[in-house]
Amino acid sequence: MASNAVADPLVSRPWRVKRRIREAHDTFTLEIESRAGESFPFTAGQFNMLHVHGVGEVPISISSNPAETALIRHTTREVGPVTKAMRKLDAGDTIGVRGPMGVGWPIEAIEGRDVVLVAGGIGLAPLRPALYRLIAEREKYGKIVLLYGTRSPQDILFKHELEHWRAQFDLEIHVTVDRAIGTWRGHVGVVTTLIARAPFDPLETVALVCGPEIMMRYTLMELGRRGVRESDMYLSMERNMKCGIGTCGHCQMGPFFVCRDGPVFNYAQIKWLLGKAEV
Amino acid sequence: MSEMITTQALRTLVGEWLDKGRRVAGPSQVKPDLVSYTALATPDQLVLDGFIHPSNSIKEFFFPRHERLYGYRIEGRKVELSDPPAPDAEQVIIAARPCDAAALPILDKLFNWDSRDEFYNRRRAATTIVTLACSAHDSACFCTSVGLAPDATNGSDAMLVPAGEGRYEVRALTDKGRALFEGKTEPSTDNGHACDGPPARFDANNLRDFLRGNFESPVWAELTLRCLGCGTCAYVCPTCHCFDIDDQGACAASATASAGARMKNWDSCQFRMFTQHASGHNPRANQAQRQRQRIMHKFFVYPERFGAILCTGCGNCTRACPVSLGVAGVLEGLK
Repeated sequence: MASNAVADPLVSRPWRVKRRIREAHDTFTLEIESRAGESFPFTAGQFNMLHVHGVGEVPISISSNPAETALIRHTTREVGPVTKAMRKLDAGDTIGVRGPMGVGWPIEAIEGRDVVLVAGGIGLAPLRPALYRLIAEREKYGKIVLLYGTRSPQDILFKHELEHWRAQFDLEIHVTVDRAIGTWRGHVGVVTTLIARAPFDPLETVALVCGPEIMMRYTLMELGRRGVRESDMYLSMERNMKCGIGTCGHCQMGPFFVCRDGPVFNYAQIKWLLGKAEV
Repeated sequence: MSEMITTQALRTLVGEWLDKGRRVAGPSQVKPDLVSYTALATPDQLVLDGFIHPSNSIKEFFFPRHERLYGYRIEGRKVELSDPPAPDAEQVIIAARPCDAAALPILDKLFNWDSRDEFYNRRRAATTIVTLACSAHDSACFCTSVGLAPDATNGSDAMLVPAGEGRYEVRALTDKGRALFEGKTEPSTDNGHACDGPPARFDANNLRDFLRGNFESPVWAELTLRCLGCGTCAYVCPTCHCFDIDDQGACAASATASAGARMKNWDSCQFRMFTQHASGHNPRANQAQRQRQRIMHKFFVYPERFGAILCTGCGNCTRACPVSLGVAGVLEGLK
């Protein structure tokens, strides 16, 4: 095909599904690679537009390690028609990719600081690339604390990896669930309840937050109550997106195109919008 | 001194453009009671008077209602992309209203602020725009409220100004416009005249200050209660540019070998589904807030971000609105 189409940001490139990994009953990871063998550098917190041909295209955060640029992973819940179709894809199938898109987490800018990551449900997926980066250069950061809330013990994502990291690195991980079932002996309740007791120095801390919008609003309030500065809080926003390049209008939130100006925003930058209804 | 062209000479010229294989679009009587911009098959389809503003805008000749981005072919588990559409043929827009042409420099900013939309840019480069200055306005017109006028030249390559007796003064404004009329006009001591603009209905700068401070004002709900959310205002607007991207044709699951295409289609922030997430959550779930979004974007966000009001005062939203709202109706209520 003509090369100008490949360069066009609205044209997705056909990639190959390498494998599909089950993460929870409704959550899965697709590991994909370029059919052309291209390397795919991205920054933690960026997303791709993934296209299931004949069904549609959706924005999905990259959940893999930014140091690995050949195999790219996306972790998603099966919710709408496109993610339902994605779940039926398997090794050898084709998926369209446009990206990487948007602004990610400020990993370099926060060197030397304590880092508290707060994840709600599938919100852990866009934070995982940040965790890989922090761990890779562990000595450059102070305390690293992950606070993670999810629905039930069966919904805990990347469980083995989290256990491995907790054992291998100087990393605090606290998990809470909405519903305790089976042999769960950990925290029960929303993730914001973990913030008050979590071991970090508020004035030294940068917070990276991702989850449902309501969870993020209360998390930011709670972090503020602990004394974390608003300009030290970052959050990843979600909006309906179609173009991914700041023209189609769908993801607009006040003056921002979430796809291009975000999805990661500094809290001080968008605080005035978060409190308002129906922006 | 001015340069003049008669209606008859203008039609002959349109015929020459068509003979050269150019696409020529202009106002045409598409139904007994409806003048719309449309691609002309013959020069006599061009309508030059007897209407205030066509029912649509010229944006569709740059940003079509439906546009094929690329095709794809599903063969088993593999998908091959097919060639992108060929560049568009040269086109001339004739007798566009100045308020329609003025929308293009405004849209250029959006389609090039970060990524460049080459589909749009290609058509812009291949098009010459000849405007027709207005000789009358109606109660929906408000160009003067947004800094324009019945003979505003923004976005025009040449302008025809009515001079009476079936003659138009030709004002060449760019090289492209000059080339189009080279040797086709007669010198004259006479001049064409546009009508006076409609009286200003609001002050766009005061309005921006109001909008800055009144995001959560109750006026949004009060003024827009009657809005049906039909989105007609966006479709007839020269500056509204929201779009959706959808698949058309083949579904991966349905066949062993089949073809489909990615289509870019007009969309509007007035539709409930516009912001709806797959989860069902809708960050902008009611119509008053969708109206606020539209007004805020046009008169506050876009000017702050791109340095231009996203409105040319054409009045099409008011003319087409089934409940007589349109942006001017809301703006007058705000002031």
